[in-house]
Amino acid sequence: MEPSTAGQRWERFSRRWSAFRDGLQDYYVGPYRQMFRREQQDEDDLFMIAVLGEALGVPDPAAYYTAELMPALWEDFHSWHRRMGIPRSPLDQIGCC
Amino acid sequence: MLLTLATARKVLFVGGKGGVGKTSVASALALARARSGGRVLLVSTDPAHNLGYIWEMSLSDTPARVFTAPSGYVDAVEVDPHVTIERHFAAVTTTMMKLLPERLHPSAKAHLALAKTAPGSHESATLERIAELMEQGLDEYDLVLFDTAPSGHTLHLLSLPEKLSGWTDSLLASRSRSDRFAAAARGLVGGEQDPESAADSELRRTLLARRDRFARMTKTITDPSTTGFVVVTVAETMPIAESLDIVNQLHALGVDIAAVVINRRSPTDAGAFLKERSKREEASLLPLREHLGAIPTTELPLLGRDMTGEDALEELATLIAAP
Repeated sequence: MEPSTAGQRWERFSRRWSAFRDGLQDYYVGPYRQMFRREQQDEDDLFMIAVLGEALGVPDPAAYYTAELMPALWEDFHSWHRRMGIPRSPLDQIGCC
Repeated sequence: MLLTLATARKVLFVGGKGGVGKTSVASALALARARSGGRVLLVSTDPAHNLGYIWEMSLSDTPARVFTAPSGYVDAVEVDPHVTIERHFAAVTTTMMKLLPERLHPSAKAHLALAKTAPGSHESATLERIAELMEQGLDEYDLVLFDTAPSGHTLHLLSLPEKLSGWTDSLLASRSRSDRFAAAARGLVGGEQDPESAADSELRRTLLARRDRFARMTKTITDPSTTGFVVVTVAETMPIAESLDIVNQLHALGVDIAAVVINRRSPTDAGAFLKERSKREEASLLPLREHLGAIPTTELPLLGRDMTGEDALEELATLIAAP
């Protein structure tokens, strides 16, 4: 009886402790996680511009080669132009909205 | 001298100012090499093709046999960038259809149709075809001879692989940074593995394949034991000035200048008029002789006949094969 109560108490304490630790972790680390995610987003957005150059009206001498990168970027195109603050698809031939 | 060169190297570019006889020299050299037992792939990269005209045959983007010797032969190609562009975009379209949901297919197709006509695609396709034929030539032939477009265009084309390697590198660096940010964000929360998305690894694979192809081409072009450039000129002030310019630019690109051919030299024993002309040619050649240093020069005489057909090429080939 005695040891099991002690065991339960310990159990309860350790659960609370780890919840507290996770809370602390989130409190201190969360903003940085956000920062890294944003940095990654910026990097990906820049990549999108580099590859879409020709279609967006920037003459791209490497258009022949960027075309082969399009398949991988297509899915992100819609969320990209929304993020860029362009409410409707800027490209006539991409009717995503 | 030229035949020795064509036997020692696997890839030769023949270039120079427009109208100096590049195609005749390249064709005759190909013929001479085939007569000495070599398998030769002769490629014209000039958008205004003359190769078919000289061999009196209709040529295309696919190699066709134009000359057969007892143990060697010449296959000729006239590069048509449109064929390469169509093939390239058909491949990209197939990839896209695989990766994309049905509803996006029409707009993806429309976008690619637009990229097809972008300025620069033509040139990139020409480069792509040159790289392809070079690889094929190194595998299946003893010599690949490129009869190139007038100098500016060719020099630009030869500098492209290196420039484009820089382009692929910067895009790959961007992918790496993006991955590192993602990993950092993950690492902060105890690193649950977020597997790399299919799209991203596809990007990376495509970029790496591109970069390797450019790197291989640069390596082949700048390796003096494999590749050489033959500058063709006539003995007149303007073409010679341009030839010196080509020599300097090729040095900067790291391409080995294997020989200079001075084409259509006037004879000294065919009347006063031509003798006088020959003297003037000699004077115009002075700056070239001063600048070239150790680069061997070959002089070819002015021939009385029109440079078309196998007989004419045979005559020029005999002159080229002479030591």
